[in-house]
Amino acid sequence: MWIKYLGAAFILAAAVMWGNLQAAKLRDRTRELEEFRLALRLLAAEIGYTATPLPRALLEVSRRVANPGVQFFLETVWQQLQEPQTADASAAWLAAVQNVQRQLQLTAQDWAVVARAAAGLGGLGREDQLKQLAAAETQLAAQAAQAAAVYASNEKMWRYLGALSGLAVVILLL
Amino acid sequence: MKKRTWQEQILPLLPLPLREIMAALPPAVADSLEEIRLRVGQPFMLHSGQGEVWLGHSGPVVSLDEACRITAADLQEVLLQMTEFSLYARDEELKRGYLALPGGHRAGFTGRVVMEGNQVKVLRDLNAVNIRIARQFKGVAVPLLPHVYCAEQQRVRHTLIVSAPQAGKTTMLRDLARLLSNGDGQRRPGFKVGIVDERSELAGCFRGEPQLDVGMRSDVLDGCAKAEGMMMLVRSMSPQVIVTDELGRAEDARAVEEAVNTGASILATAHGQNAGELIRRPSLAYLLENGLFERVIVLSRRHGPGTVENIYTGQALQEWLRAGRECSVD
Repeated sequence: MWIKYLGAAFILAAAVMWGNLQAAKLRDRTRELEEFRLALRLLAAEIGYTATPLPRALLEVSRRVANPGVQFFLETVWQQLQEPQTADASAAWLAAVQNVQRQLQLTAQDWAVVARAAAGLGGLGREDQLKQLAAAETQLAAQAAQAAAVYASNEKMWRYLGALSGLAVVILLL
Repeated sequence: MKKRTWQEQILPLLPLPLREIMAALPPAVADSLEEIRLRVGQPFMLHSGQGEVWLGHSGPVVSLDEACRITAADLQEVLLQMTEFSLYARDEELKRGYLALPGGHRAGFTGRVVMEGNQVKVLRDLNAVNIRIARQFKGVAVPLLPHVYCAEQQRVRHTLIVSAPQAGKTTMLRDLARLLSNGDGQRRPGFKVGIVDERSELAGCFRGEPQLDVGMRSDVLDGCAKAEGMMMLVRSMSPQVIVTDELGRAEDARAVEEAVNTGASILATAHGQNAGELIRRPSLAYLLENGLFERVIVLSRRHGPGTVENIYTGQALQEWLRAGRECSVD
């Protein structure tokens, strides 16, 4: 009999964990989008105030953002810039989007917005570069607001769904 | 620390195919290389002590048909590499048509210029890049020292070095700055030298750090307009000698005059092959006719860059100027 209870406990725990995981993905997506926004603002500051060249600016910004996924993305762009076959910074940014997208919780739509920040990167004068980054940051802000709304409305639903589906399975099996 | 060769500094900036061609240059060409010329649709070309060299995919060629042709994409890649993929970081230099490179080398650019009022807004659609290899010839100015340094008064004379382009003015001026800054440790003391390096040619600064040896008592204002720079140095660094390249504008003349009045000595260069050419430029004429320069050193390329043709002083200088004035009136 105790084996049955132990099995039920395992099923319930797994279902709760699955529900929490889905909720965490929503939370992480929101945080990652906010961190990307912060990264673009910091990049704009590096460009606007000290005209730091892109490779150094990317490393500097990666040290100042907290999210490891966004740090990894910025370091990947930097790494791409060191490759001899890299033609320009836009290509490096887009290559990093390709390489990193499975490791973060962003949706395809979010990545499309992140990819838009590549347009003209490093190939514009200072003022135009700042305008372009500001435009990308505005789009990310809209995306982050939408992600936050989804998180607020769906977080509890996923947690309850996890626990309740676990309970349903247990009841059916018992 | 081992000094990096021009190959280590310049080749990573070139597109891979051009890099491979350059890496296989014959030593005689590589050792005397002066310029790498990249022009859209034209042969890959070098200027060295051996003269003009055309390059094909396997090295120097004699026929234009075999020469490797440069594309617009090559130039764009060179530009992005030189700016570390960050045009915004170097846009002020680009507006002036050049970039300073690590090692004191320089790249000049031509292309389509977009103007805003009287100012260059941006240089785009590049059609040519000229990479000039910086070489420092230490000691070339030693023969000039007795003319420039007055041992009795322990001061540097106000001196103008003149020549046509590429005759060694800047090389000579840089070496004079180094020699005067370091002193000889015995009878000639080291001077505090302030260098206004408007085009990053004298000290070859890269990210503010001089890449060429300009002496241990030299302070370098890099990328600063000459007139403003001279005044900044006087106000902040109390230089005994002010060194600057290519005087010519009216504000330069005013700044030189003011700097001289503060007690600093001036070492400068100007374009011109003879007195007539100098006199035709009002600001230089003003400085020379008022006797501000005690020495005028004329260089040429007759026996190679840096050949000293004449050193004018006192009465001889006045006569030379008079002859130039008459020549210029004719």
